[in-house]
Amino acid sequence: MDETLRAIADPTRRAILMLVRDREISAGDIAAHFPAISRPAVSQHLRILVTAGLIQVRREGNRRFYRLRPHGLTEAAAFFETMWSAPLQRLKQAAEHEQHTPATAEEEPTEPC
Amino acid sequence: MLNAEPNKTIEQTLWIQAHPETIWRFLTDPERLAQWWGQAQVDARPHGPLRVQMHDGPRPVMRGHFLELVPHERIAFTFGWEPTPGAPDIPPGTSRVDITLTPDGNGTKLTLRHSGLPAALEDETNHGWAHLLNRLNHQARRHHHN
Repeated sequence: MDETLRAIADPTRRAILMLVRDREISAGDIAAHFPAISRPAVSQHLRILVTAGLIQVRREGNRRFYRLRPHGLTEAAAFFETMWSAPLQRLKQAAEHEQHTPATAEEEPTEPC
Repeated sequence: MLNAEPNKTIEQTLWIQAHPETIWRFLTDPERLAQWWGQAQVDARPHGPLRVQMHDGPRPVMRGHFLELVPHERIAFTFGWEPTPGAPDIPPGTSRVDITLTPDGNGTKLTLRHSGLPAALEDETNHGWAHLLNRLNHQARRHHHN
């Protein structure tokens, strides 16, 4: 599962997922969407997404086509992992903020005798 | 439709630099719940209802009730969604969330366990995913600009 979260932690890879979500698209067309990123770097992103099981590849001659893997993103466990990760990070930030704001933070526990 | 074998469990652990008492308030106080999860109506006692308009994904409304409350240590509630386009079909009462707080160093280890989940999701959930991915994108951008 960590692999899935790592894979979608990167904005370029999330953009690729959006591209291949509804249709199959060639490696060249994917790269064309990211003119600021080198071809090898795009290939590396695609490899990570394939390894994480989020997209699948089909080879035709020397061309490669990618699409969202039907059961990659729709796997329930991955969905709920992702669903909880953002709010839990917000909980951490909010609780730490409150803890370290003098006006609302509780008293430090006293040392036991 | 709920898929067969609704028995998947996920678990997440994170360390928070705050006392369990502080984190407990964020699990039981509606104003603080709103800061991280969503606008909440909460009656924090056994059998008390919990309703949260979630911030994330397709913004489903979570409905459940408390099963167990051990102040500053553990809290458990049922978890389900009112039918929402793009959200997995998890009817209220079908899944369960257990959160435990364990003092750890100068902070607290929080473990969240969500059980009773379906093994697979319906295709329509892909739309929910699109929202989720978009949202992650926005958050990543915000972080980037901070």
